Amino acid sequence: MTTTAAISAKECATQLSSIVGEQHVQMVGETVTCAPADAKQISEILRFANANSVSVTARGSGTKMGWGNPVDAGIHLDMKRLNSLREHPWQDMTCTVEAGCNWAAMQTELAKFGQMVALDPLWPERATVGGIVAANDGGALRLKYGSLRDLIIGMTVVLADGTIAKTGGKVVKNVAGYDLHKLMTGSFGTLGIITEVNFRLHPAETSVRTWTAVAGNVAEFAEPLRKLLDAQITPSCAQIRINNARCEFDVRIATRPESLDDQAAKLRKIFAPLDLADSSQAVWQTNQEIVDDPHAAVLKISLLPSDVCAVSLEIQQWAADQGIEMKLAAQAVGIMTVAFKGATGTVPALIQQLRTRLKKSSGNVTALQIPDAMREGLDVWGCDSNALPLMREIKRRFDPNRTLNPGRFVGNI
Amino acid sequence: MLPKNHIDELREAVGEDGLITGESQLQTYECDGLTNFRVLPGAVVLPRSSAEVQAVVRVCARHKIPFVSRGAGTGLSGGALPAAGGVVISLARMNKILEVNIADRYVVVEPGVINSHVTQRVTPQGYFYAPDPSSQSVCTIGGNVAENSGGAHCLKYGFTVTHTLGLEVILPSGELIQLGSATLDSPGYDLTGVFVGSEGTLGVTTKIILRIVKRPEVVQTLLAAFDSPQAAGQTVSDIIAAGMLPSALEIMDALAIEAAEAAVHAHYPVCGGLLLVELDGPAGEVEALMSEVRGICSKNGAEEVRVAQSDAERALVWKGRKAAFAAMGRISPNYIVQDGVIPRTALPRVLTEIDRMASAAGLRVANVFHAGDGNLHPLVLYDRAIEGQEELALDLSYRILHLCVDNGGSITGEHGVGKEKQEALGYMFSEPDLNTMQLIRCAFDPENIANPDKVFPRTRLCAAETPGPYVPHPLETAGIAEIF
Repeated sequence: MTTTAAISAKECATQLSSIVGEQHVQMVGETVTCAPADAKQISEILRFANANSVSVTARGSGTKMGWGNPVDAGIHLDMKRLNSLREHPWQDMTCTVEAGCNWAAMQTELAKFGQMVALDPLWPERATVGGIVAANDGGALRLKYGSLRDLIIGMTVVLADGTIAKTGGKVVKNVAGYDLHKLMTGSFGTLGIITEVNFRLHPAETSVRTWTAVAGNVAEFAEPLRKLLDAQITPSCAQIRINNARCEFDVRIATRPESLDDQAAKLRKIFAPLDLADSSQAVWQTNQEIVDDPHAAVLKISLLPSDVCAVSLEIQQWAADQGIEMKLAAQAVGIMTVAFKGATGTVPALIQQLRTRLKKSSGNVTALQIPDAMREGLDVWGCDSNALPLMREIKRRFDPNRTLNPGRFVGNI
Repeated sequence: MLPKNHIDELREAVGEDGLITGESQLQTYECDGLTNFRVLPGAVVLPRSSAEVQAVVRVCARHKIPFVSRGAGTGLSGGALPAAGGVVISLARMNKILEVNIADRYVVVEPGVINSHVTQRVTPQGYFYAPDPSSQSVCTIGGNVAENSGGAHCLKYGFTVTHTLGLEVILPSGELIQLGSATLDSPGYDLTGVFVGSEGTLGVTTKIILRIVKRPEVVQTLLAAFDSPQAAGQTVSDIIAAGMLPSALEIMDALAIEAAEAAVHAHYPVCGGLLLVELDGPAGEVEALMSEVRGICSKNGAEEVRVAQSDAERALVWKGRKAAFAAMGRISPNYIVQDGVIPRTALPRVLTEIDRMASAAGLRVANVFHAGDGNLHPLVLYDRAIEGQEELALDLSYRILHLCVDNGGSITGEHGVGKEKQEALGYMFSEPDLNTMQLIRCAFDPENIANPDKVFPRTRLCAAETPGPYVPHPLETAGIAEIF
């Protein structure tokens, strides 16, 4: 239990047991974990926590608990019991799913009707809908389908004071009221607990092929990347991968079988004189492989697509100079994930260097996963936005007692 | 009217030629595209820069003067309706395209830039700006941002929010902030996503970073004639079920076809339900999909199926569709348009119910809609000269919105809530939902001066921030507002 809490962990556990049932409450040291069954129980829990100054963090499968600043919460809300796909009116191409639902399990159900939520987050086999949405995770499919902001059409959230609020709706097009779900997406559980999400769906990809080009130097990819983004073909994903000295460029196209050869021919022209070879779908796991190593320092870098190759090269050279291992995956849209392994003590200096370099083009660097020793003196978020006071005010309005994930987000929100 | 010292401060902010106070000139600004609501503002300012907008908003903040920002005034829900005696900030002079970056696929514009001018500017490089509201040749990007405007092609390409990367915003306090940026995933809350579609209630946008899209290799537009909109609606469901995502799927009923034909002679087939399907993308893909669409249309009993053979023919098809509202003047002295949304599968039963309700009210309702995303545009036709008919028409139009909500939909898909649908928002959302939205409003605009008394069913005031004994606000005492 945190030092500001007005009650002991034991009292807290007793109270939570009365809400969710004893069998769904666990006490480990000063932390109480409880697994509510629905939004109503979460509302009761939050009302209790808020009134007793006990901080609360929600947890799906815990894949991204290390992202952001550490939080020592008194109550861990285990969302595993909110795990159903509530509705899937497939002809409307929408679905409503509970936050604790496993991502892959949801996609398997949707796939029975040839549909999908067009997003490829990290750890789909383990991660939950709520965690992915709270962290605004996503992958290379963003090139064709956009991000969670474009795929979520409604949401149910529970606020710190126990209010259960709905936002958006179940139709694809809707401009009624404020889009609270956009505020909640990527807010890292600091404004409310997401209990249900409504998605718009896309047809599942069929006739999918991936090609890979190899180059001696990542700079050779600059022109193909520029041409690819300027082309009239419709790749669903494109990424540049660097593993120490090896540089590769993957492109995936999903279209009608009749169009596949034609698009492949155009792709070859874009990449000439580099060769394009048929490749495995497994290359799209690279992002996950990069973040999978718990000992690696992992950065997420947002930058302009036209900066991708130059910045990749700089990072590659920096790692070589430092004599440390490096793996990188850069999506064509300008989102890059980089992992460093070995003597990573100088990574904070690189973060500062990159932040300075990218400032002019409004890029940014987030330290996604870093060894604890490296956190000292490092702002993992790197948010110097002049909207930070407004963000703090939003937090204050939504959660005046700082009950929800206090300190985890930008500016220690 | 505004006191002289306020007017003087506004003059100082925008200069003599940027200030309008004469009553006859002010009347130009007394309404937007929703003309049955009219309010005279106290002053209109025409700033030329972010700094001038900031100076104006500071004056408003200092004296707690309500302000309403305005683009071209084409909005259909009264979003730009002035606050009585308040300030209208017309952004018409801030109409420059500031930056075009083809390599990174974005442009930076001022809010007064006309929607279609963005596309015109990047056409030579083979790009376009995707959101295409029917008013795109006159409406402004600032207004599009306020309303989160859509258009016929948002089924595939998304709405204004999909294409807004970042914003420069003057908060109601007069503070200038940047939200989002040309790069993705700026750390922090997605305030760009929240601001877009907030209908001018959270501040004034003075700069917008827009995503631009590469023009597809091929565009094909098919017209299919059915005996009823319901049959056309079933075809839409079948196209979607076949795993296709056309760039547009539009339906017009017999009345709408008649009006559009009379206005622009689009050479539409004479039928009970006209379906317009547009596919775009790589040539091979479009060809394969179009043949599938033709098959689905035939299976559903299409009487005539034809594909526009030239760009000119396609442009004419769209001209007819986009002129459908204005064309109603050809068949009715007055009309009310709503834009409720329903789940696609509810289309046949909702259309049947609208027919029934119209007959019972003794009124005609024409239907033009974005069928792919279930966004209806029922046009309730009436004659103001006939006593009591306007009230009947208004009542019917609101009942149609309730019907949409009852069927799991929304009261508005693209026009916004504005002044017109405030009460209907209360039908769609519960009190806790509305109170939660109000938290955002209070964080941005604690004094409630940015486009006040819009969107929400009744005025809600933000809790007083100053310590001391509680003193009820006069509006609260009068029973017309409550402290939140």
